[in-house]
Amino acid sequence: MTANRKDLTAGLLFIAIAALFALGALGQDLGTPRKLGPGAFPLLLSGILALLGAAVALKAFRTPAGGPVTIPWRGILLILVGPIIFGLTIRGLGLLATVALIVAVSTYASRRMSLWLSLAITIGLTAFCMLVFHLGLGLPIRLIGPWLSGAGLAAFGSGG
Amino acid sequence: MFKRLLASLAGAAFIGAVGAGLPAQAQDYPTGPITVVVPFSAGGPTDTVTRLVAESMSKSLGQQVIVENVGGAGGTLGAARVAKAEPDGYTLLLHHIGMATSATLYRKLPYDPKAAFAPIGLVTEVPMVLVARKDFPPNNLQELITYVKEHKDEVTYANAGIGAASHLCGMLFMQAIETPLTTVPYKGTGPAMTDLLGGQVDFLCDQTTNTTNQIKAGEVKAYGVFADQRLANLPDLPTVKEGGLEGQSFAIWHGLYAPAGTPEPIVNKLSEALKAALADQTVIDRFAELGTAPVPADQATPAALQQKVTSEIDRWKPVIEAAGEYAD
Amino acid sequence: MDLLLNLGLGFETALTPINILYCFIGVLLGTLIGVLPGIGPTATIAMLLPITLSLSPVTALIMLAGIYYGAQYGGSTTAILVNMPGESSSAVTAIDGYQMARRGQAGHALAAAALGSFFAGTGATLVIAVLAPPLTDVALKFGPAEYFSLMFLGLITSVALAHGSIVKALAMVVLGLLLGLVGTDIYTGTPRFTLGFIELSDGINFVAVAVGIFGIAEILRNLENEHEREVGTQPIGRLMPGKAELKQIAGPVLRGTALGSLLGVLPGGGHILASFASYTVEKRISKTPERFGKGAIEGVAGPESANNAGAQTSFIPMLTLGIPSNPVMALMIGAMIIQGIAPGPNVAADEPALFWGIIVSMWVGNLLLVILNLPLIGLWVRLLKVPYFVLFPAILAFSAIGIYSINSNAFDLFAVSVFGILGYVLVKCECEPAPLLLGFVLGPMLEEHLRRAMIISRGDPTVFVTRPLSLALLILAVGVLVVVLLPAIARKREKVFIEED
Repeated sequence: MTANRKDLTAGLLFIAIAALFALGALGQDLGTPRKLGPGAFPLLLSGILALLGAAVALKAFRTPAGGPVTIPWRGILLILVGPIIFGLTIRGLGLLATVALIVAVSTYASRRMSLWLSLAITIGLTAFCMLVFHLGLGLPIRLIGPWLSGAGLAAFGSGG
Repeated sequence: MFKRLLASLAGAAFIGAVGAGLPAQAQDYPTGPITVVVPFSAGGPTDTVTRLVAESMSKSLGQQVIVENVGGAGGTLGAARVAKAEPDGYTLLLHHIGMATSATLYRKLPYDPKAAFAPIGLVTEVPMVLVARKDFPPNNLQELITYVKEHKDEVTYANAGIGAASHLCGMLFMQAIETPLTTVPYKGTGPAMTDLLGGQVDFLCDQTTNTTNQIKAGEVKAYGVFADQRLANLPDLPTVKEGGLEGQSFAIWHGLYAPAGTPEPIVNKLSEALKAALADQTVIDRFAELGTAPVPADQATPAALQQKVTSEIDRWKPVIEAAGEYAD
Repeated sequence: MDLLLNLGLGFETALTPINILYCFIGVLLGTLIGVLPGIGPTATIAMLLPITLSLSPVTALIMLAGIYYGAQYGGSTTAILVNMPGESSSAVTAIDGYQMARRGQAGHALAAAALGSFFAGTGATLVIAVLAPPLTDVALKFGPAEYFSLMFLGLITSVALAHGSIVKALAMVVLGLLLGLVGTDIYTGTPRFTLGFIELSDGINFVAVAVGIFGIAEILRNLENEHEREVGTQPIGRLMPGKAELKQIAGPVLRGTALGSLLGVLPGGGHILASFASYTVEKRISKTPERFGKGAIEGVAGPESANNAGAQTSFIPMLTLGIPSNPVMALMIGAMIIQGIAPGPNVAADEPALFWGIIVSMWVGNLLLVILNLPLIGLWVRLLKVPYFVLFPAILAFSAIGIYSINSNAFDLFAVSVFGILGYVLVKCECEPAPLLLGFVLGPMLEEHLRRAMIISRGDPTVFVTRPLSLALLILAVGVLVVVLLPAIARKREKVFIEED
C-alpha cells in the first residue's frame, strides 16, 4: 500500500503542531465563560487543527503517491543561515560587513557560482545597500560596528 | 533630503574617525550622533514627547539626536537594550512611569530599574483624566462613585492593556473606592477610546495626551483630573480632590536616562541640554497641545529623577501586589 | 454645495507647486520602499518624520500620506514579480499576480494593478469627501460581537483563496490563527507559547512570517531547478492591457473599490480583510473559478483596488475621530501633534484647508502614481531579467535590513529562517501559504473580540446572535460554509484540482 507522501507529511505536521500548542494551552488557565482564560481559545483551535490534520493524513492513503522530490540541501542551508548570521552580527560588525557576509554566503546557494562572480555581487550589493538604506533612508544602523572599530575594542578591554 | 545626506556623510566621517582608536572623551562630548531609544512603537505619546525633545536637544548639543523605537514587552525590551549599552553617552533611553511599575509588574526583569541607569532628568508629567461615554448617567465624580458602587456588576472599565497608564489608574481608582469592577482590556488606547465613543464600554481613565481633544469636542464626559490643580487647557474640569477623592494625585512622568556608569560630566552636559530643550518655546507649545507641560528646571536633574524612580517603585509595589496582576 | 466649496479649498491647497512636489516625493519614496521587500511604510515614515518638521503641516502630512499609499502600491510590484508580499494586503496579489509573471504576463499584471489602484484611489477619495461622517458612525456601531462575526466570516471565505484541498486550506487558516496567538495574552498578561523568549512577548513579527513563508520559501523552491526558473526566461509580453482586458477588469475593480472603501473604515483588521474579501468575491462570481490561483487577471485587479481603497478610507477614523486604525495612522497622528495640530473630531472644522487639502492630495497622489508607474512597469519587468543568482542574495539582504529596521531586534531575523523552512515544507506538501497569513493576522483579533464580547455580555454567548449586525454576518458565514462544503461543489472542485494536477 502506498500513500501520498505530501498529504501524509502535511497531515502529520499539522497534528504535531496541534499537539505542541495543546500542550502549551493546557498549562494555562482555561477560565470561565464570563472571563475566558488564556488557554481556552488556543485549546479549541489545537483540537480543530488536529482533526483537520488527521483528515489530511487519512486522505493520503486514497490519493496516488506523488513523484520523487528533489531537495536543494545546499541552498536550504546557505539561505537559511543568512538571516541568522545577520541577526547575530549586525550590532557588532555594522551594516557594511554584515551585508557583505550574508550576500557572500548566500551566493553560493546557487550551484553556478564562482569566486569572482560572488565577489562582484557582494561588492555591488553592499554598495547598493549603503546607498539606499544608509544615505537614502537614513536608517539608524551603524555602518561599521564596535567589533571592527578601535573605540569598541578599547571599551571591551576596559570591561565596558 | 539633502540635509539628511549631509548629516549621514558627517556621521560616516565620525565613525571613521572613531575607528582610528579614539576613546570617547568627556570634555569634547558629543562628537557624533546620539541615539535616544524609545521603548514603544512610533506614533504613541511617549514617542511624540521624545521626538520633540530630541529635535530641540540636537540644536544645543550641536549633534544629531536620533530617535530609535525599540518596542515590546511593556517597554522592558528597549530599557534592557539601553541598560546593556556602552555607557558613553551615545545611547540614551526615554521611558515613562513604566520604568518604576515594571519593577513590580515583571517578576523576571533582566535589569534593575534602580541601579542599571544613570538618570539625566525628568521631562514631563502628564496628568490623568477620568472620562466616560457621552450618555453615561452620572454627571460628576460624586455621582459616578455612587453609580459605580450601585451598579458594580454592570459597569465596565476599559484599559489599554496590562501596565498601561489606564491600567494603573484603574487599579488606583478601584482601590480608592474599594469596589472591584469588570475590566475590559484593549490593545492600546486607540481601540479603547473607539469603543468608549461607540458606547461599547462605560468609562476609562487615561492621559490628557489621549483624551483632551475628545473632551473638548464633547465626544466624551469628563469627571476629574488626577492632579493637585486644574489644568490650564481644561479649566472647567475639576480635580478629583474637589470631587471628593482625597490624596489621589497621579501623573504619567517621563524621564531621560543613560546607562549606569556614564561619566558624570557627560550626564551633566545632557541634563543641561535637556533643560534647554524644556525651555524651548516650540517644545512648550507642542507639549501644551498634548495637554501637558515641561517639568520645572529643578526637576530636569539627575537627582530629581533618581528620587522619582525610587519613590514610585515603592508607591506602586503594594498597589500592583494587592491587585495581583502581573505582566509576565 | 458645501462639498464643492470644501473640495475647491482642497484643490487650492493640494495644487500649490510645493505640495505637488512633496506629494510626488512622497509617492516616489513610497513606491521605492514598497518595492524593496521587508521594509514597510511604518519604518519609513518613522525615519522620515524628523525631515518633515521643517515643512508646513499640510505639506508634511501630504508627503507622509503619499509614502503610505505609495508603499501599498509598490508592495504589489514585489508581490507580483518575486512572490514576496511586504504587507498583509498584498499577500493576495501574490497569488495570481506571481502566476501571471511566471507565464510572461508580468506587464499585464502590473498594469492591471496600477489602473485598478488609480480607479480605487479616485473612488475612495470621493467616499472620504462625501461619506466620512456617516461612515464613522457605522464604524462606531461595531462592538466586539460584530468584529468577531466579521472576522469569522473573513476566515471562512478565505478558504476560497486556495485552489487545492479545502481541508488543507482550513488547516492552514487554523495554523495561522494559532501562530498569531503566540505572545502576551492582553487580558491577563500571561506569556503564551513563547518558550521563555522575552522577544516573543509581543508575538511573532508579521513581516518576518511573511518574508519567511513567502519569500524565503520561494527562493528555496526556485533553487530546486535553477536552470528552469520560469520568470525571467519568459518573454515580457505586451505591457498595456487591450480592450478585452480592460473589460475583464472593470467589474472586479468596481467591486473591489466598493468593498475596500467600506471595510477600510473599520479600525483594526478592516483594511486587511478588504483584499481577501475581494479575491473571494471575484472567485465566487467568476464563470471560470478554476483559473484563479493560476494567473487570473481579475484576481489581481480586484484585490489591488480593494487594498488601495481600504488604505485610503482608513484615514477616516484618523481624520474624523483622531483615532488611529493602524500603526501608520498612529504615526500620522504623532506627526500632526509634532506639527502643532491637535488631532481629533475638530480637525475638519478648525483646519479645513489641512483636512480637505489632505483628501484632495490623495487623488493627486494617485494620479502621480499612475503617471510615475505606467512608464516604470517596463523597468520593473526588466528586473526579472536580472540573473537569479544576483536577485536572490539581493532579496535576502534587503529583507534582512528591512526586518531589522522595524524593531532593531535580532530575534525577528531568526524567525525568518524558521518560517522559511516551515513555509518551504508546507509548499512542498501543496499547502497554500495565503490562508495561513490571514489566520496569523486575524488570530489575535478574533480571540480578543471573542473574549471581550463575553466579558461585556457577562458570559452570555447569545450576544453573537441577538445583535442584528453580528447575526447577519454569521448567517453570511454559515451560507459560505454550506456552499463550500456542498457535496456537488466539493466534488467539482476536487475534480478540477486532480485534472490539473
